[in-house]
Amino acid sequence: MSTNKDGNGGWKSFLWNSERKEFLGRTGGSWFKILLFYLIFYGCLAGIFIGTIQALLLTLSNYKPTYQDRVAPPGLSHTPRSEKFEISYNVNDVETYLKYTKSIKDFLEMYDEERQTDQNKYEDCGELPESYRDRGELESDAGVRKACRFKRTWLGPCAGLDGHDENFGFKDGKPCLIAKLNRIINFRPRPPTNNASVPEAGQSRVQTNVIPIHCQNKREEDASKIGEIKYYGMGMGFPLQYYPYYGKLLHPNYLQPLVAIQFTNLTFNEELRLECKVYGANIDYSEKDRYQGRFDVKFTISNL
Amino acid sequence: MFEMNGEVDVKMKKKKKIKKKDRLEGMKKEMDIVSVIHKTRRRESWREYGLTSSKAAEVLERDGPNELLPPKGTPEYVKFARQLAGGLQCLMWVAAVICFIAFGIEFSRGTLGCFDDLYLAITLITVVVVTGCFGYYQEFKSTNIIASFKNLVPQQALVIRDGQKNQINAMDLVVGDLVEIKGGDRVPADIRIIFAQGCKVDNSSLTGESEPQSKTPECTHENPLETKNIAFFSTTCLEGVATGTVINTGDRTIIGRIASLASGVGNEKTPIAIEIEHFVDIIAGLAIFFGFTFFVVAMFIGYAFLEAMIFFMAIVVAYVPEGLLATVTVCLSLTAKRLARKNCVVKNLEAVETLGSTSVICSDKTGTLTQNRMTVAHLWFDNVIHAADTTEDQSGQSFDQSSETWRSLARVAGLCNRAIFKPNQESLPIPRRIVVGDASETALLKFTELAIGNMMEYRERFKKVVEVPFNSTNKNTLMLSVHELEDPMDLRYLLVMKGAPERILERCSTILIKGQEMPLEEQWREAFQTAYMDLGSLGERVLGFCHIYLNENEFPRGYKFDSDEMNFTTSGLCFAGLISMIDPPRATVPDAVMKCRTAGIRVVMVTGDHPITARAIAANVGIITEGSETVEDIATRKRIPVEQVNRRDARACVISGGQLKDMSSEELDEALRSHPEMVFARTSPQPPSSPPLIIVESCQRLGSIVAVTGDGVNDSPALKKADIGIAMGIAGSDAAKNAADMILLDDNFASIVTGVEQGRLIFDNLKKSIAYTLTKNIPELTPYLIYITVSVPLPLGCITILMIELATDIFPSVSLAYEKAESDIMHLKPRNPRKDRLVNESLAAYSYFQIGAIQSFAGFTDYFTAMAQEGWYPLLCVGLRSHWENVHLQDLQDSYGQEWTYAQRLYQQYTCYTVFFISIEICQIADVLIRKTRRLSIFQQGFFRNKVLVSAIVFQLLLGNLLCYCPGMPNIFNFMPIRGQWWFVPIPYGILIFVYDEIRKLGVRRHPGSWWDQELYY
Repeated sequence: MSTNKDGNGGWKSFLWNSERKEFLGRTGGSWFKILLFYLIFYGCLAGIFIGTIQALLLTLSNYKPTYQDRVAPPGLSHTPRSEKFEISYNVNDVETYLKYTKSIKDFLEMYDEERQTDQNKYEDCGELPESYRDRGELESDAGVRKACRFKRTWLGPCAGLDGHDENFGFKDGKPCLIAKLNRIINFRPRPPTNNASVPEAGQSRVQTNVIPIHCQNKREEDASKIGEIKYYGMGMGFPLQYYPYYGKLLHPNYLQPLVAIQFTNLTFNEELRLECKVYGANIDYSEKDRYQGRFDVKFTISNL
Repeated sequence: MFEMNGEVDVKMKKKKKIKKKDRLEGMKKEMDIVSVIHKTRRRESWREYGLTSSKAAEVLERDGPNELLPPKGTPEYVKFARQLAGGLQCLMWVAAVICFIAFGIEFSRGTLGCFDDLYLAITLITVVVVTGCFGYYQEFKSTNIIASFKNLVPQQALVIRDGQKNQINAMDLVVGDLVEIKGGDRVPADIRIIFAQGCKVDNSSLTGESEPQSKTPECTHENPLETKNIAFFSTTCLEGVATGTVINTGDRTIIGRIASLASGVGNEKTPIAIEIEHFVDIIAGLAIFFGFTFFVVAMFIGYAFLEAMIFFMAIVVAYVPEGLLATVTVCLSLTAKRLARKNCVVKNLEAVETLGSTSVICSDKTGTLTQNRMTVAHLWFDNVIHAADTTEDQSGQSFDQSSETWRSLARVAGLCNRAIFKPNQESLPIPRRIVVGDASETALLKFTELAIGNMMEYRERFKKVVEVPFNSTNKNTLMLSVHELEDPMDLRYLLVMKGAPERILERCSTILIKGQEMPLEEQWREAFQTAYMDLGSLGERVLGFCHIYLNENEFPRGYKFDSDEMNFTTSGLCFAGLISMIDPPRATVPDAVMKCRTAGIRVVMVTGDHPITARAIAANVGIITEGSETVEDIATRKRIPVEQVNRRDARACVISGGQLKDMSSEELDEALRSHPEMVFARTSPQPPSSPPLIIVESCQRLGSIVAVTGDGVNDSPALKKADIGIAMGIAGSDAAKNAADMILLDDNFASIVTGVEQGRLIFDNLKKSIAYTLTKNIPELTPYLIYITVSVPLPLGCITILMIELATDIFPSVSLAYEKAESDIMHLKPRNPRKDRLVNESLAAYSYFQIGAIQSFAGFTDYFTAMAQEGWYPLLCVGLRSHWENVHLQDLQDSYGQEWTYAQRLYQQYTCYTVFFISIEICQIADVLIRKTRRLSIFQQGFFRNKVLVSAIVFQLLLGNLLCYCPGMPNIFNFMPIRGQWWFVPIPYGILIFVYDEIRKLGVRRHPGSWWDQELYY
């Protein structure tokens, strides 16, 4: 290090000192020794590291994460995803909404009827909302659990099936959003205990064994502009027989219940802010997380 | 006015180029010219009339006002800006700017968490500005030199112009003005005395010589500084009156030159400043290197430009030790505080360490090495030399006082003495009492007071009849007085006399031996000569004493003794003995010099005293060791001419001021190189080339780190030039104190040695502190490297890094400054500033690549644990980054198929920051423990002996807990309350660090010089 004081010549001889056969201030033998030392040193460290990580993995359960405090209560996500929290398109221009319809189409493919035919993997859980369907303890040796079928047809005009609107209403300015409650292992959402928490407009849809979802304007001034909102899906909410979720390993074919929300009469050419919320006794909202139990979406539909 | 400043400035710059010796010559010539002018003028009636007002105004216009102008320095804002633009600071500015840009872009995108970038930018700027203010304040404190000179300058002057006396502002004086000064005035400019009456001037503010100098119109010396007819600007007239003409004003006066010289001499960079700069450069270079490499790598991998820039910024933030400068400053100020308690006040913090690397101390003799008071050292009576007790507290051995001769000698010494104690000092110990009288009489008074007791009363008993004092005008080198005897029945008079021994002996015919008067035979004369020579060779001032009982018949009671006529017997006296005096060394000095010697520090003595005295004191305190010989000694011993002596055989060397003046700088270098024991004697205090300055420069040329002591204004250039200037707190002038880096409150040389010890200790401890601080940069850096290359979710955020750097780790790193020395640091040579660096290769390698690496592994273990237990397996994490950070992805699946929203992932990421933070903290606790020692086992040093360190660890843990569990932290500093067991994951790594370092130290101790020692000892 002291060599750089001697000017340019110092640097050069520091790089390669031909007199003493030193490269960067060390001879070949010295380099060999120090590198060997570090090789052993890091070898040992890496060994210890891998050992501890292996030991750590041994302590983990295959079926359930050790802690779920960060992931619960569940988030509410929607398809199509908003870009910058906004869905804006022009009804006259297919290009502007193609990405939305395509993402819904892709998403709903998982729910195709023909995928759900295998009797070993799927079972019917009725057409009406029921209570939780218990499939045994996580750690029990029951193996892979069956999943409830979910029919796309329940989504009505938003199912995008042949014969129905393949544009999911986007073309007519009546866009559909598909909402789902995020999967959380062993989570049993509980319906709201008192109806007071649900806004008046959604009261009618509150029923047992369903987690209701309700959308409304976020801003006061938009109240008259959002028009009617229609909900499709079993019980127009998230029916309880689809819960709990048993995890990727035990529940590989799990289909979570969906709710299609159709905004049938949105005012065109204006920015409208909507908020959809699910209501349940064990569903919380957080100021910091705009997708926990609810979501915001901004619609700008133009027809010019 | 501004033009004037500029002109002066230009002049100064020119002056700086001229060599100092030339400057001295120049000064002499100028003075000569001035004197010629005035000689011619003096013939005119000007002497009563003075200058005309118009002429004065004209000259004032030409020369400018009579005041000291501060040199036009760098403007303050430039100095401040410089503090903000160091290597690291620039990097942090860049980082802050990148943060701002990132914030701007992300804010416009509406990204969650974009305010983190803003906070980060603000924090970075705050860190830079605060450290900058700190540095600026330090610099500001130590540069304000001219101000102290200004205090010396008088306000008013009595001037004769147009034949009238006027009180004018001293600023308006011009060359040629006729001024009057009287006792109590400050001399308003450099003046040539043309009339004086009993005028005495105190030059101490200029030269540090406390003896008043009388001023007369005669030119007694060709050197303006030694002649009696020139009085200097800013000195004080003590008594008498004088009239003189102004020959120099303002910056052209002697004091003005010293002032400009003192502020012109560049403040040498302190070794620690050089060290820190050196390693800051390396750090900054490495940070840029790492940052740039990964910028390129990131671009190559396919990150966007902005992301790559943010990586660059993050790497800079992670790699730069932000808290380091603060740590160093605090460590130094702690030591400075400790030193202040031991009578060393450190003005410039960095001086603390400089003291530790000092290899030469140039010390003033008077007051620093010696007690600065004449004391009776030896007596010769009864043909034996007796040693008196010269210790400050009279704790030494006394001689046998039973002899009759002793009583007579003491009586002469006590009676023939005009010195008196100031009243009301009975409570003080005798050596500390204040005496009115000259130095040797004071010494004798105190000596007799100690030996006989109450001298004032004793003198009452022997009533004084007549007295003939020393008198320089009639060249009387003797002093005598006549007294009545104590016994009222004995009507004889007693005549007592003291003076230069040979002159006393001339007047004696008998000698007292064991109380008996014996004829003064040749045998006794020889004995006297031997004793006189012996005492003289000890560098002591020798006085002879004799007495006689005057014949009762010849001088009956009431005889009129006449001091002018000397109408009484002054020969054929009875010789009583010799008393020799010296300014004895301080009791602690020989020890301190010895300590310096074992610590490999040379002590060079510089004094205005006679070479023999200087040598004697030097030998006495151990600056010249026993058995060391000078060239002259060898010549005398071998009986050969001085020229034939091989100069290298002589360890010691005494160089007088005259010789020094004639030596070239090469000769001086050679002399300093070949003689380890140097004494410079009879150095005259000539300001522009004062001997200390020349000696300092010479030592510095030889690569030494020089400490210089000084007290006078004339010393201030040398104090400034020295690596560490030490001013005397008691005797020092303000200018000296201002130019110095350190002030000794007790003026004691031994305090310097304490300073050296502390300086060395702080160097060692700073090394430990820096090693500790540097270590954590690796576990701060590796998360980014892994993040960029393997694309795992970010394990450690920038704000968290700053919390480590600036909050939790500051106290422990400072606490290492309280660590005791591992070995006797005063038995080692001073460090070689070119080889023994503060931060060397092995320190960096050990901290970075070994301890830092272990810490990184600890952090990642804890990180993967926290991730896996929340549902993200290590292998899933790899490559996860782009999904993980996708703000619009609200249902990302973990290893168990659970779906996470973005905010949930973000808080999980904060959890990871926190566990990584905790891992670094736990490992840093192990780190601070291992840094307590570099060689010894920690069990030898003691775990809990450094209480501050223990409390620092507790503090660190508490702060860590506060950050983790205080509500609101997640959204302010991105800390999450983490699970208790994640605190324990890094503990095995902490133990590993501890055990590994103990093994390292064991190897270093067991096999000194081995490969292990070379590579792993820092």
